[in-house]
Amino acid sequence: MDDHLFHRRVVSGDESALGELYDRFSALLYGLALRVTRDRVAAEDITQEVFAAFWERPLGFDPARGSLRTFLATVAHRRSVDHVRSEERRRVGALAPRLFERPHDLEEGVVAADEIKRVREAVAGLPDALRQVVELAYYGGRTYREVAVEIGVPEGTAKSRIRLALRRLAETLNEEAL
Amino acid sequence: MSLDRLYLDLLDEAPVAPPSGGRARLLATAAARRRPAATCVAWARPYAGRVAAMDAVFASATAWDVEIVEGWNLQELLGHLMAKDGLVAAAVGAPVHGPPITDDEPMARTAAVHDHERSRSLLETRRSWRDQADALCHALSGADPARMITPGGLPLPVGDQLLGRALETWIHTHDTAVSEGLHLPKPTAEELHPMADLCARLLPATALLSGLDLGDRSIRLTLTGDGGGDWHLPLAPGRPASGYGGQQVALTLRADAAEYCFVLGGRGAGYTWEAEGDQALAADLRAAAPALSGP
Repeated sequence: MDDHLFHRRVVSGDESALGELYDRFSALLYGLALRVTRDRVAAEDITQEVFAAFWERPLGFDPARGSLRTFLATVAHRRSVDHVRSEERRRVGALAPRLFERPHDLEEGVVAADEIKRVREAVAGLPDALRQVVELAYYGGRTYREVAVEIGVPEGTAKSRIRLALRRLAETLNEEAL
Repeated sequence: MSLDRLYLDLLDEAPVAPPSGGRARLLATAAARRRPAATCVAWARPYAGRVAAMDAVFASATAWDVEIVEGWNLQELLGHLMAKDGLVAAAVGAPVHGPPITDDEPMARTAAVHDHERSRSLLETRRSWRDQADALCHALSGADPARMITPGGLPLPVGDQLLGRALETWIHTHDTAVSEGLHLPKPTAEELHPMADLCARLLPATALLSGLDLGDRSIRLTLTGDGGGDWHLPLAPGRPASGYGGQQVALTLRADAAEYCFVLGGRGAGYTWEAEGDQALAADLRAAAPALSGP
């Protein structure tokens, strides 16, 4: 799976490429939208819209500037935040329409501001052996191989520790959120 | 940022499947938002793909009135593509969109389409251009790609005519993307290779058209990157190109496949060819290469 090739196929109007992208990323985007909106219908609509918008305007993505996964997730996150804000506005009513307006640049990226705190706390709460590999791989930007060398274990061990840590983190966040 | 990647990786470890039926719903919605490439015979797919790519650039285009190339804005550029696509359509018996063809000289036909489209909106012209392109694709299912036709006076087999249309659509899509500040990705290797093959086979003709007398020599052309290949090209008229198979040649040229296509399409001013052998011949061929490109 290569972002450049997917991008070329979508630009060339190849529908099967869009189907493959859906198979690959829909659960990620739906899960992301669900965490932000807590609304299954909204999360499904957002997932659909992210893919449809990418299909309609694929030149909005430039593979030189980042991965397709991050691009799609960023759009999904932005739309999810927009949904939550418009729901809040609707609940508050027309009396205070500007109460929840915040500039978008505070919310760029794929993680909601309140979620950042939860992720960091969940990482801090991992057992030492798992916390160490996550901190090296993600906060320190090391490759699996570099992590393995640094902590003196085979690469496969480092890789499986990281995956175990990711699953633990996902479980922790799910228990808190959903 | 590192936390983005961590967050997406951990969500990937705990995926939440959306309700079933979403994939089919998406494909239906997407097709209505931007038409997929027309379904067509394999040898016309590079053309169908470039038409869909032009539509994708259009979808992101905002400067509708600026000159893109040849003094044309976006509507006039689409009119020009539609005019030339229509000449091929007429030659293969496909429906012709826009005004009836009275003069099949490409620039005269372009002017007639421009006159017709001037009173219409850009979106209407976009639809007519796309309808013409798709009608051409659909009409090819029973066509013989080897049959010689001469739309606008250019004699080439149907298959090569379609590759020529693919190439011109690509070049003008690139022109539009540059004008809009958009980055247009290359065609896929499957789409690019047949266009590179056409451009390889046309190289001797560009030299001939430029009045070069190259004698009974031949060259090896190696195109690298996606869609590339290796050709043996006799330079004397009437001798067909073939895959390179170790023949003695006067010159070996090496270039990137996409860049080579752009040189033949008249957009390769900055691209150089690596030449091994007769350097004077290499310079002559490079200078003559854009001879078939026009508006």
